[in-house]
Amino acid sequence: MAKIVRMPIHLRWELYPVPHEKGYKYGGSYLEELEWWTKPREKSRMRSILFLIKKYLSFSEYFRRNRSYWFGLYPWHIGFYLIVFFHILSFFGALLIATTGLAIIPESTNILGSIIYYLTVIVAVTSFILGTVGSIGLLIKRTADPDLRAYATPINYFNYLFFLVVFLSGFFAWLFVDPTLASYREFWVNLITLKYAAVEPATYTHIMLFSLFLIYLPFTRSTHYITKIIAFFKVRWDDTPNLPGSSMESKIKKVLSQPVGWSGPHIRSGKKWSENATSNTEGK
Amino acid sequence: MTKRIKIKDISQNPDQKMLNITSEELVPLPPPYDKPVKETPICSLTKEQEDKYECSLDGVVAIGIPKPKSKEEEEKLVNSFLKGLKKLLSKENNWTFLQPLMLSLEYCGKCLSCSQECPIYLASGKQEIYRPNYRAEVLRRIIKKYLKKGGIFSKFSDGDIELNWATIARLAELSYRCTICRRCAQSCTRGVDNGLITHELRKLFSQEMGISAKEIHELGTVQQLKTGASTGLTPKAFKGIVQFMEEEIEEKTGKKTKIPVDKQGADILLIHNSGEYMSWLENPEAFAIILEAAGMNWTLSSELAGYEGTNYGVWYDDVQFSRIALKQIEVARKLGVKKIVVGECGHSHKAITVIADRILTKETYIPRESFLPVLEDIVSSGKLKLDPKRNDFPVTLHDPCNMVRLMGIVEPQRRILRKICPQFREMEPHGVNNYCCGGGSGFAIMHSMNFPDWRVNVAGRMKLKQILEVFKDVSDPAIKKYVCAPCSNCKGALRDLLSYYNVWEKSGILYGGLVELVVNAMTDIKQPFIEWEWR
Repeated sequence: MAKIVRMPIHLRWELYPVPHEKGYKYGGSYLEELEWWTKPREKSRMRSILFLIKKYLSFSEYFRRNRSYWFGLYPWHIGFYLIVFFHILSFFGALLIATTGLAIIPESTNILGSIIYYLTVIVAVTSFILGTVGSIGLLIKRTADPDLRAYATPINYFNYLFFLVVFLSGFFAWLFVDPTLASYREFWVNLITLKYAAVEPATYTHIMLFSLFLIYLPFTRSTHYITKIIAFFKVRWDDTPNLPGSSMESKIKKVLSQPVGWSGPHIRSGKKWSENATSNTEGK
Repeated sequence: MTKRIKIKDISQNPDQKMLNITSEELVPLPPPYDKPVKETPICSLTKEQEDKYECSLDGVVAIGIPKPKSKEEEEKLVNSFLKGLKKLLSKENNWTFLQPLMLSLEYCGKCLSCSQECPIYLASGKQEIYRPNYRAEVLRRIIKKYLKKGGIFSKFSDGDIELNWATIARLAELSYRCTICRRCAQSCTRGVDNGLITHELRKLFSQEMGISAKEIHELGTVQQLKTGASTGLTPKAFKGIVQFMEEEIEEKTGKKTKIPVDKQGADILLIHNSGEYMSWLENPEAFAIILEAAGMNWTLSSELAGYEGTNYGVWYDDVQFSRIALKQIEVARKLGVKKIVVGECGHSHKAITVIADRILTKETYIPRESFLPVLEDIVSSGKLKLDPKRNDFPVTLHDPCNMVRLMGIVEPQRRILRKICPQFREMEPHGVNNYCCGGGSGFAIMHSMNFPDWRVNVAGRMKLKQILEVFKDVSDPAIKKYVCAPCSNCKGALRDLLSYYNVWEKSGILYGGLVELVVNAMTDIKQPFIEWEWR
């Protein structure tokens, strides 16, 4: 991923609609304006950010174009967001217990204790249910749909099953062992205070599986959560014009001075990009 | 039921066609076009052609790759492909598109949402090999297995594929079964762009292996750099045409017009697709009438590359692309004009205004813009006396992908049409969601063997369907209708498409540009400018 971020400037390849443009509602751009280079650019970066956040939360393109897939994908992703949030909440709760002695129970004398208690339970249970539904839904969809099946690889099925086990383990621990989810906070308190005390095996199993899930995540395509930002801001919506004297111009000069290594008969292999681009002959 | 094609089938059975296109499977057209024009939509190749050229993808030949004569030659070509692939993924050789390419190769979720957006996939009756993700997935698997050498884990995580000459030959042909309209990319929530992967594949074949469509390379960019235009139009012939245009304008309008050529220090250098001079002379004539009537300080150029706006390099080769773009800019700078304005040609728009933007430095910079805001400014300024009643016939607008989806120029042309065409109506979908005419990415000018059959039956099918549907309430051929296509290549594709299905005779639908409609509405021109006859 870091390699992708560090890649050189590329040619423009934008695709409309671009949300930061004034005419984004119908897909318009500044190129609609007469002598656009003489006018100040009206660009709303905030609109692009909000647009992307909305997409992260609603998956509306799938809902519009591929609804049956959305029914699996949406709960799956919301399940991911929430399970991460649940563990952050558990850690945060534990930190408060260890440092302030806050009681995280329904009838806590401190309102914060009650809020964290209920929030943790709601977030965790929703994530376990949505994640389970999503994993099963996608597994069925990917298996039953012959088109999707043709493009699936064993790793896709492994992922659905592994993530299903992660969500189910949490669900099982909540349902049968720890309905208040206090043992998660207990686990973190023990870690923070460097004390050893056993937690429920079911809870422990879920924590271990969740940890594996976090370790495994960067090796999957889930990094698309981050690369998507590059794909949109640096490619699809990158309509920044190159004007003389700009910082972009100096980046361009740099890449144009690189040698071309292609071997096609019309290319002057070994010569700089700028030399190739200004040569009149067929590579000779 | 036909056998489902799998991804790895691309490397199997090299002597058999992967797909046989039949009329029954194509998406149906509304009556009276619901019966196939010919028994077999794609005419078969001759035995000689089949023996000579690679045609095992779908029995269609777009680029005509000669079959290797020996195993050694095959092996050499496979190695050359792998060498090119390595270069495609290196920042030294492919700074131009490396980041977008890597994002598209690495992060596809294989949800296949893009398929439903591809006019070729839909028109073909959802044939697997035309799915936008099919060629991309083949390429991904080759990279993982042969370049990254993932071994058994690669099979587990990325799927398997065998790389042999059949795979490469079919992949090369397959890169010319996509118009790079990038409608598929619009639907991807991760920003994956299968159109770009097609572009990059074409580039690999051209820049490393010297394989490309003859009409685009040899008769296209090479000819343009040599003679001045991809149509072969020389500077001398161009000057002769300008003279003829002046005579014809006088004949049509009764006005004596001097078309400025090579005028030093003009405000505008207007560059048309030279196809206009060869096939649709009324278009540059209409431009001249409008610009003169509006009192603009403009000029055409008779310099090599100065009278030709096309840049086919944009579809297949970054080096050829850069050479042409810089030549066009050099002409403008020599003339000392303030800006380049691009006429009715979609890919010329995108090539010189957008893609070329990042190969320019202070020494080569000049402002470039579309004719559309210029025309809108003229029309709304009141400099021309326009009567919309003169255009009182059903008109629809075709959105050239390059101007609209890929540049965001959507409304100026609509505001003009709403002003001058009382019966203007929109196709569905339109604007940035339009369907390609079927001639995008060079298809309009590719006439190799049976490729034109494929283009009119598959690539342009969804566009034809849209056109017929938008005029369904006025389907009587006696009611003359106009498809406004402000792009030379789109007009070329529409000409072949409408002609193949006899649409002019059966439905009275004609195609043409936007400026012709403007001139047709000008009250100081006595005769109607639009001639209702097929050409």
